[in-house]
Amino acid sequence: MRIGSAKESYAGDAALFDSRTQYVWVCVLALALCAFPFVASEYWLYLACLVAINIASTTGLNILTGYTGLVSLGQAAFMGLGAYTVAILQIRFASPFILNLLAGGTVAMLAGITVGLPSLRVKGLYLAIATIAAGVMAHFIFSHFSLMGGSGGLTVPPAQFFGIELDDSFKLYWVIVPVAALMLLGAANLFRTRIGRAFIAIRDRDISAEVLGISLLHYKLLAFAISSFYAGVAGGLFVYFFRAVTPESFPLLMSIFFLAAVIVGGMGSILGSILGAVFMTLVPEVLKLIVGWLPVALVGGNATLVLSPIRTIVFGLMIVLFLIFEPHGLAEVWRRIRRLFHLWPFRT
Amino acid sequence: MKNSRRKIGIAALAGAAALAFPPLAMAQNVSQKAVPKAESKEDIVLGGSIPLTGVFAFAGIAIDLGIKDYLTILNDSGGIKGRKVRYVPEDTGYKVDQSMAAFKKITGQNKVSLYYADSTAFVKTVNPELERAQNILMTGASFAKEISNAQKYPLQFMVGPDYSEMVGILLQYIAKTKPGAKIALVYSDTEFGKDPVDSARIEAKKLGLNLAIEIVTPPSSVDVSAEIIKLRRADPDYTIFHGYVSAPIPEFINQAKALNLKTAFMGTFWSMDNTTVMRMGPNADGFLGVMPYRYYYDTEGKSPMLERIRKMRPEYQSTGYMQGFLSTMLLTEAARRTLEAGNELTGKNMKTALSSIRNFDTGGIIGVPLSIKGNSIPIGRIYKADFKQQKMVPASDWISLQ
Repeated sequence: MRIGSAKESYAGDAALFDSRTQYVWVCVLALALCAFPFVASEYWLYLACLVAINIASTTGLNILTGYTGLVSLGQAAFMGLGAYTVAILQIRFASPFILNLLAGGTVAMLAGITVGLPSLRVKGLYLAIATIAAGVMAHFIFSHFSLMGGSGGLTVPPAQFFGIELDDSFKLYWVIVPVAALMLLGAANLFRTRIGRAFIAIRDRDISAEVLGISLLHYKLLAFAISSFYAGVAGGLFVYFFRAVTPESFPLLMSIFFLAAVIVGGMGSILGSILGAVFMTLVPEVLKLIVGWLPVALVGGNATLVLSPIRTIVFGLMIVLFLIFEPHGLAEVWRRIRRLFHLWPFRT
Repeated sequence: MKNSRRKIGIAALAGAAALAFPPLAMAQNVSQKAVPKAESKEDIVLGGSIPLTGVFAFAGIAIDLGIKDYLTILNDSGGIKGRKVRYVPEDTGYKVDQSMAAFKKITGQNKVSLYYADSTAFVKTVNPELERAQNILMTGASFAKEISNAQKYPLQFMVGPDYSEMVGILLQYIAKTKPGAKIALVYSDTEFGKDPVDSARIEAKKLGLNLAIEIVTPPSSVDVSAEIIKLRRADPDYTIFHGYVSAPIPEFINQAKALNLKTAFMGTFWSMDNTTVMRMGPNADGFLGVMPYRYYYDTEGKSPMLERIRKMRPEYQSTGYMQGFLSTMLLTEAARRTLEAGNELTGKNMKTALSSIRNFDTGGIIGVPLSIKGNSIPIGRIYKADFKQQKMVPASDWISLQ
């Protein structure tokens, strides 16, 4: 049983991890992530890469929506901008993929700042509608400019790393997962700084924050900039992973997917971003596996056909039930489980 | 008390472990499941990323049934050189990431030789993977012009004309029926909708037709009053729709009828299912369109395969069913020819075998003998809606662009 962790300094209070046990678990997780590609099948590697890309984008949206309180439905559009930037740079200049990813993030960031301007005047649903416009404009740009391949989009050659073509999930895993981990680390550290605290202050009460000397113009646009940078980099990873990008690769539904991931995972929580993205990406696949295990006799010879719609309904129901019974998201469930073990055998 | 708490603790731990490591648990399960499959290793596997849910489910479910029915016929008659063909489908919800996941899962658990793909976006995404693996021949629901480029997509083909060729067939029909006719092209603002536009402009010019107006709409828009006014101003003899399944075609037709427009409306494959057209209402009587296959109820000429289908399924089967059925027929024919030539079932060998198909009898699914020269099969026929009979009836002979 652990009764608490006493903080003896401000640095200790602001530390990312507050006990040695946590460091040990993080090391175990890092080792597990390193070992994973050597034991997992191509299918699980594919899903791991997809989850990592979604984690990166969800974290970006969580910075904006969960931490700063600015609702955005433009995340997919920013991902698209990043993806197209990376695709064009890779096709035309074959520049190093790290530079391309940074450029993708930067282009998305600049667009994010522009789209964020209305956030100074409108909030909540109004802002969400304003950000939808970003998606509409992005779709127009993607489908009407020949540089972007028009409606047919672009097919991208694989990224190269010291002459090695990153053309399968195993090789891409070593790029996508570390980049996503770095982005997570960056986001976690952001909230140990003045900037992160300013974001939280704006979310809690923007007028009070302004009275405290926090410039709303500066910090709201900064939140948009950081969030869309994350989306741009995630879009860049997406294009290296799928090797094709079309105007229809980043629909409004994708932005809703990320918003759902933030809410299901836990708003204003880095762990929530991870758990939300994992949940939204893997649960449909896990449900498919469960459906596959059901005895054929139970549903006749047509298991896939009969159970596919049921699987979709179950996924939707799970999200609804989560929102009703755990509005603080999966991160709160995780915290409760942790508390149970900390205080065991006593009740929390 | 202490014991029960300990039990609860252990149960919670086990639950947490199960939650934390589902992939490994499932990976183990997957490998366990793979064992019985190894017993039937002689099976030829046809994988499928099939949209059984989502916006394309109306076609996906029919395609799935078509694939299964052809395989039942094939396997009941002994399979391919004594080897059964096993179908392994996965639902994709018509989403590229899920289609890719399904592909990885199916190819990871089975030695897949043949594959059915559900969308253009997936086909483009999976193409580098196919070229790397070199062991799969693929076809699917996409008729995008880009896929008909055999150099770019060497291990894929489409079961019918590409969208440009579909519009080309319509234009040939128009040029023959009414030389110099005025045409309107109405298409959706999507990759699907824009696919044949460039080649339609060129082809119309070549055939001496006047492409008077192009109207772009959202994929399933409802209010088309502004577009109808444009159409009235252009007053075309023929209006070709592309990039839709149904909406907004009925809205266009009804409003055009109200305005007494004399234009004849036309569609391409995905809007040509009998049920879809009849649901458009009596104003759709005379709706024309291009079909690469015969309809389920066609009795014209010798069509043993259609008779077989009608015996297996007494109720109407959609055009998606025919597409899935013929796709499977051609995929397995390529595999059969490869094995008969004593070659391994590699993607390249199967594509070569497929390209050797000349004057192939589809049993009446297509009304003329089939020859495959590239990635597409540019053959089609114009059908016309007969609302009294509640049927699409032939309006032309088979038109080949080969």
